[in-house]
Amino acid sequence: MRAATFQGKGDIDVRQMPDPAIVNPRDCIIEVTSTAICGSDLHLYDGVIPGVEQDDILGHEFMGRVVATGKESTLKVGQRVVVPFTIFCGQCFHCSEQRYSNCDNSCPVEEQEIAEKAFGHPMAGMFGYSHLTGGYAGGQAEYVRIPYSDVVPLVVPEDIPDDRLLFLSDILPTGWMAALNADIEPGDTIAVWGCGPVGLFSILSAFRQKAGRVIAIDGVQGRLDMAEQLGAEPVNFHETDILDALKQMTGGIGPDAVIDAVGMEAHGLSVDNIADRVKQTVGIGQDRAHVLRQAIMACRKGGRVSVPGVYGGKADLFPLGAMMQKGLQLRTGQTHVRRYTAELLDLIERDVIDPSFLISHRLPLDEAATGYRNFRDHQDEWIKVVLHP
Amino acid sequence: MNLANWARYGLAATLATAAGGVLIYRRQPHINHDAAPARSARHRRRFGDYRVTGASVTIRATPEQIRACWQGNARLWPALEYLPFPEGNQPDLLLPPSELRDMASRPLRTRIVAEREDELLAWRSEGEGQADMHGRLRFRDNGDKGTAVEVIMAVRPHHFASAWKTEAMMAEALELGLLRDLRRMKMLIETGEIATARMRPDAD
Repeated sequence: MRAATFQGKGDIDVRQMPDPAIVNPRDCIIEVTSTAICGSDLHLYDGVIPGVEQDDILGHEFMGRVVATGKESTLKVGQRVVVPFTIFCGQCFHCSEQRYSNCDNSCPVEEQEIAEKAFGHPMAGMFGYSHLTGGYAGGQAEYVRIPYSDVVPLVVPEDIPDDRLLFLSDILPTGWMAALNADIEPGDTIAVWGCGPVGLFSILSAFRQKAGRVIAIDGVQGRLDMAEQLGAEPVNFHETDILDALKQMTGGIGPDAVIDAVGMEAHGLSVDNIADRVKQTVGIGQDRAHVLRQAIMACRKGGRVSVPGVYGGKADLFPLGAMMQKGLQLRTGQTHVRRYTAELLDLIERDVIDPSFLISHRLPLDEAATGYRNFRDHQDEWIKVVLHP
Repeated sequence: MNLANWARYGLAATLATAAGGVLIYRRQPHINHDAAPARSARHRRRFGDYRVTGASVTIRATPEQIRACWQGNARLWPALEYLPFPEGNQPDLLLPPSELRDMASRPLRTRIVAEREDELLAWRSEGEGQADMHGRLRFRDNGDKGTAVEVIMAVRPHHFASAWKTEAMMAEALELGLLRDLRRMKMLIETGEIATARMRPDAD
């Protein structure tokens, strides 16, 4: 089969790889019909997430049709499924509490040690997202092996096009969970940093969860325009002192909750971000946490900090004093995708939301390298790239 | 300054440094080697002739189910690296997995020496005099999280390694291997399979 493979920092190549086959009884194999490039794929592409090896197949947002099943899979050949990016067993303590991205069992034992050293505990398995999360082959390919196929994939109706369903695999539930983690009270003011796909879905979700106002912060005008179309109040950080603006916009109080939908590769020319970039470049730091620092400083006293943005290492100059002195609550984590998919599918089926507005480019899988390059370098136009194998 | 003065000042500086060192050493809090659980001891992980190591996990199953898997699930045994497992026709005899066998300098046979239902199972290696290895598998209720399973192994380095450094490396490998073994057993009990990222059954 053909698959988009990692060949080194900034180097994606579509290559011929072995077809997957059933390995464990609960597996199934799907033929991918649509797959997307995620903002967090760019962390791999830019080489800031460790544990990515040459020829690793990337991609964790994908859907397709079942073509083979293991003897304990409950799926049937021909069924159409969306596959959550977090792999989970459905049986461990964490899965029993619907914390699927904390699953104890989905990361192969021999891949657990690096993450355990880095984070204190091993992580759940994820598709196409480095050997820290199991080294599973990803979905930017013609076929994918899906473990625990009796619990992981979401069977979807035939009459809804891929474009409207694909983002149930990651970014729509991620935006939804980001808003839930912000613990929104009706009428609250929410500030969202980053108007990429997760940020835009966080804005959409915050309004669905009864936020009164959403303030959207980004440096790319095209993305701010999309946020404005969703009802948010755009603020361009290139032209605005963010802390000052947020105080002014909220009568000196600050936003009730803040959402960092940027993560470890913050942009901008602030002093702390330049220092972070230097440390990241020379290999003595991993996270450029400027947005998180700013969000914590901006949040009102007693407010909530929600972090869907991906971080992978340690950040210095972290404003722990502000966290403590203002009594903030911080909630974060990889998305427990499957916890939210039924509710979100229902909203899509009833035409309450249509996530396909995000798609800016559709490319054949063979042009994955072009998709990655432009998604990173032309963020004003390349909002979301969908690949078709 | 002539050579004699250099020697005099050098000697004085050496004595002052030594005195300072002694003073700092004496001001250190007394280390109680028994204050930490055996496997967590920061300063000493060797007890008498034995090096103690182990691992623990919590499994969502009863002690009987866990024991049944360890004793009767043939899919588990080939995946084990260090945790001894029962030999089919002799219920009290345990087989050391391949990694553990490679670690020993002579053939290892281990036999169950103590059993407390739903709580403890202990074994030791056979041989004259002191055993080369003691081990135990202990079960403890961990509330709604399941059963906490702890394996502890005490190995006498004489037959495992000849040099202290090698012994430390082996103990580290043993600890990691035991943790891997418990996690594989947990996967098999909780999910019915052992997780793998392989794309095909025949892949590496």
